[in-house]
Order: sequence, then structure tokens, then C-alpha cells
Amino acid sequence: MPSEPRVPAEPTLEELSAYLDHELDAATQARVAEHVAGCDECRARLDGLRETVTAIRAMPMETPPRTFTVPEQRRQAWRWAPAGWIGGAAVALLLIAVGIQNLHLPASSPTSSTTSGGLAQHNAFAPYGQVAPLDRSGQSVPSTVQRALSANSTTVVDPQNSSRSLAISTDATSYPASGVITVHVTTRGLSGAEASSVRVFLSRETAKGGYAVGLTPPSSASTYPFDWEASYSISQMRLPAPVAGSYSLQVTIDMSSHQSLTASLPLTITP
Amino acid sequence: MVASNNSNDDRDLVGRARRGDREAFTQLIVQYQVPLYNMALRMVGRPDDAADVAQEAFLRAWEKIRTLRDAPFKAWLFQIAANLCYDYFRRGRRYGVMPDEDMTSNVVGLGITTPDPQESAESNERTRLVRDCIQALDHDMRIAIILRDVNGMAYDEIAAVLRVPLGTVKSRIARARAQVQERLQEHPDFFPTREDAHAE
Repeated sequence: MPSEPRVPAEPTLEELSAYLDHELDAATQARVAEHVAGCDECRARLDGLRETVTAIRAMPMETPPRTFTVPEQRRQAWRWAPAGWIGGAAVALLLIAVGIQNLHLPASSPTSSTTSGGLAQHNAFAPYGQVAPLDRSGQSVPSTVQRALSANSTTVVDPQNSSRSLAISTDATSYPASGVITVHVTTRGLSGAEASSVRVFLSRETAKGGYAVGLTPPSSASTYPFDWEASYSISQMRLPAPVAGSYSLQVTIDMSSHQSLTASLPLTITP
Repeated sequence: MVASNNSNDDRDLVGRARRGDREAFTQLIVQYQVPLYNMALRMVGRPDDAADVAQEAFLRAWEKIRTLRDAPFKAWLFQIAANLCYDYFRRGRRYGVMPDEDMTSNVVGLGITTPDPQESAESNERTRLVRDCIQALDHDMRIAIILRDVNGMAYDEIAAVLRVPLGTVKSRIARARAQVQERLQEHPDFFPTREDAHAE
């Protein structure tokens, strides 16, 4: 007596789930496919799981709210709270900063072959609001030359070592939304071994918490002490509307001693 | 959202980092900071706490990388972060607190064109519901489904991260998905089932 065609055994929940991920062996994958093709109930279960997976995978990948970095010297002991060593943590909490900012690499580094050097030029940062300087940026500024950047300036001295300082200035205090901000950054008493990274942001605090746009230092900013000037087009920053308002330009030098020097200047952008 | 296999690329960077090359390790940070942060964010809920977890994971990896031999760096790094997430809850830190909506939108919206407000609101609500459903899972199921459906890891990678058998990974992911599905179906306005769609 001929036997009736056998319907493959009903798949388990685990098999249906793994089937979606192609994580079953070939025989089981085929068995599940065959069963589902002839079983409305299991097909509905599979569709439900598939829609759930789709909903989970539709969640956006968030951008980290601050940069991650490690010290030059490895720690000797574990500890939980990392915030203590992150220089300028208070500032970082105010900023919604993104990406690793211009970690200085030697010329032999694979990433230093990008247009202006440093990891900030890595393609991975493209969606994160990184703004490259304009072409005319990157000129080393002789310290003896008095630039027209004294309109807005500040100097921060390291309280632990008065020979270290960070000075920043801009060519104006107020810019039209279509304008260009020229920034001059100078460090004194800091060697490349002591300074691990530099972060430059234009930030704005709003009622909803604020945001920041990272400004990439020019390629010349790869050695210490700094003495560089860079120009940034405001329109290229793609600032959220309304663009006009009060901003803060912040430059932070992270040091291998787990401290940092941060200098900030107020700026105004007009319509 | 399936992750690419970067093990070959990692090998060179890991080798250099083991010899103390901090720049090589920094490239590993660049490569993994977003997926690692997102894993932590979906586990602990709060952006600042997730950033703490990710930062500490990178620090520990940097300090211990000399002990890493043939194991894949990615699984090892995520294992460190997963353990930190366990610690986070063991130490009685905030549990299941949702990220502040404004903070989240600020992080995402940086320098990016704002979408249509209504579409954005619906999308945000869907995201919030999914996130809440995942947060409601028990710890073991939650991390399994996050590693799979947020980070796009293969089952054997997840087994390596969690140090459990492959069958356990399969079971946890399946049960987690079923529970999330059940909870999402309580919100047919945002997640209509096929029966709902046919009934309309």
C-alpha cells in the first residue's frame, strides 16, 4: 500500500528563528522551508518573527556622545569609573561630540595619507558632522607675526604646570551664516609625547540640550607645539536651523597624564 | 545591519597594539566604537552610562591586549563589554532607565537634515517601543538578541562573546524574539500584524 506524502516535522520556535538567520544546517534549513511552504500556521509564525527582527534592526545606530580614547601608559589597576581620567569630562558632557578627533599620527601611519592627516579624516566620520578646513588653512603662523586674530581670544594655563598653555583666537566675534570663521590655535610647553589628541568643536547649547560640530584641524597640526590657523565655512557645517544664535568654540588638548586643557570662546552667528 | 568580518584587518592592528602601538589601538577604537557603544546603550539604556561602559571596555582591552593570543579581537572586546554590562547591573546602577528622548535626538541629529516631523515622531515612537520591549527582557536574552539583531553577529561569534554553547545562543535569541513580538503586538497602531492589515 503506497504511503501518503510525508509533511516534514513542524519546526520549533528555535528552528524558525535560526531559519531567518540562515543558521541551520542545510538539511534542517530545507526541511523548515518545505514545511513552512505547506503550513499556513507556521508561515504566519515565521512572518511574525521576521517582522519583529525587521523592527529591531530598524532602530538607528546611535552616535556615541563623547570620544573614546586610551592613555599612552597603561593603567596599573582596574577601576570602574573611567570619567576621572577623561580630560575635560565636564565639557564633554555639555558637548554632543562625535568621533575620535585628530589623533596625531606619524607620516608612516596608514591613515595619515588622507587629505589632511589624522583619524578625523577617516571616512567613518563623514556622517558625523566633521567639517574640514578650507584649502587655504593649515598655514603655519610665525609667532612673531601679529595676526588680525585678536578680536576674540583667550589663553588657558595648565594649573599643574604654568609653563603649559593653550591659546585660541578668532578673527571676529560675530559672523554671518554664510561667513568663514578663522581660528588660530597655539600651544606652549606641550610636547607630542604629552599631548595625545586635540578636539575642536563649535557647540551650541539649546533648551533641548545642545549639539556640537567637530572641526578638523589642518594637516599642519600634527606636531607640537601647535601654532596653526584654519578657516571653516559656516555653511559647510550644516548647523541645525535656526543657525543664528550664540555658539562656543572649544579646543581641548588631551594629555597623556589623563588631564586636558580646554579653551573656549563665545561666537555669534547672525542670519 | 550584519557586521562585516574584519578579523583579517584586525590581526595586523592587534599585533601592533600588543607591542604597545597606541595608534593601532586607536584604529581599533574607530572601527568598533559605534557597534560597541550601541550594544552597551541597548543593554544599560542611558547614553552616558553606555559611553562609560564602552570607554572602560576599550581601556581594559588596551591594558590586557598582550594576553590576547589567537582569539578574535572583536569577540574578545565585546566579551569585556558584556561583562561590564553584567557588572553594571550587579552593582545596582540604574536599571532599565530609558535614554532621554531629547538627548537621543540630539546625538543622532548632529549635522544631519531633519526629517518630516510627523514621520520622525512615528519613527521615534516605534523605536521607543522596540527599545522598551528589549529592555524588558531578562539579561541573558537581551544581550543575545542585541548581539544578533543590533550588532549583526553570527551565532558562533555570539557564543564566543557569551561563552555559552551554540544551542543556548539559538534558544535565547528565539525566545527573546518571541517575547519582543508578543509585546509589540500590544501596539497594533505601530506594529500591525498581517491579520490586522487584512481586517482593515
